[in-house]
Amino acid sequence: MSRSVWKGPFVDAYVLKKAEASRESGRNEVIKIWSRRSTILPQFVGLTFGVYNGHKHIPVNVSEDMIGQKFGEYSPTRTYYGHAADKKAKRK
Amino acid sequence: MTELICVGAIGGAFGVRGEVRLKSFCAEPADIETYGLLTTEDGSQTLSVHLTGSVKGGFTARLTGVETKEQADALRGIRLYAPRDRLPSLPDDEYYYTDLIGLDVYDTGGALLGKVRSVQNHGASDLLEIHGDGLKNTVLLPFTLTAVPTVDLNTGRIIVDPPDGLF
Repeated sequence: MSRSVWKGPFVDAYVLKKAEASRESGRNEVIKIWSRRSTILPQFVGLTFGVYNGHKHIPVNVSEDMIGQKFGEYSPTRTYYGHAADKKAKRK
Repeated sequence: MTELICVGAIGGAFGVRGEVRLKSFCAEPADIETYGLLTTEDGSQTLSVHLTGSVKGGFTARLTGVETKEQADALRGIRLYAPRDRLPSLPDDEYYYTDLIGLDVYDTGGALLGKVRSVQNHGASDLLEIHGDGLKNTVLLPFTLTAVPTVDLNTGRIIVDPPDGLF
């Protein structure tokens, strides 16, 4: 069952505080968080979070199309690299 | 000699008429057919791939010179390689993972930080995994214009401006 709309999205309070502090400081930094369950909010767009996967913090650059998802979705807890083959990386 | 890139592997025979099960490692799995003649790692065998269908986790394919189930079974586990120069050229700011892996990583001050060990993408943006002698663990760096301002494939070096707290 999905979460009731009247409750609003769930975000751990410390994530909001850290994000706000980082935005105010204007520094280019990775915001380390452990809260994989927090929802990605519009005010997080443009920031880089280091989302813990139980082993290390995976950098996650938040973009607009990630709003509404959870941080944990971008920080896998199991390792599978696969093959490079003809895969491409785009610098954005 | 041109660099070889692993694009797939043979899983074993499919049926009794010499077809094989083929696992593709390409970004678009069906592209394995478009790279022309593929070779084994040591270059001893050259095979042309013609996809005939799909199975769970891969394709069925017919390879040149493979006519019987026994020949197909003998190829089980063999990896298929394509020359790097067969990959199509890419627009600016787009790079093949294979080109980025192994590049030296320097910071903006000119100090060597390490080498690119792998490129990963977990859904957010591409990440460079950097490994160096001075680093305790590998470091994941977002592959963005701000964090990686310069990529020079000719000299084999990347200049990075990492966010605070990464290195």
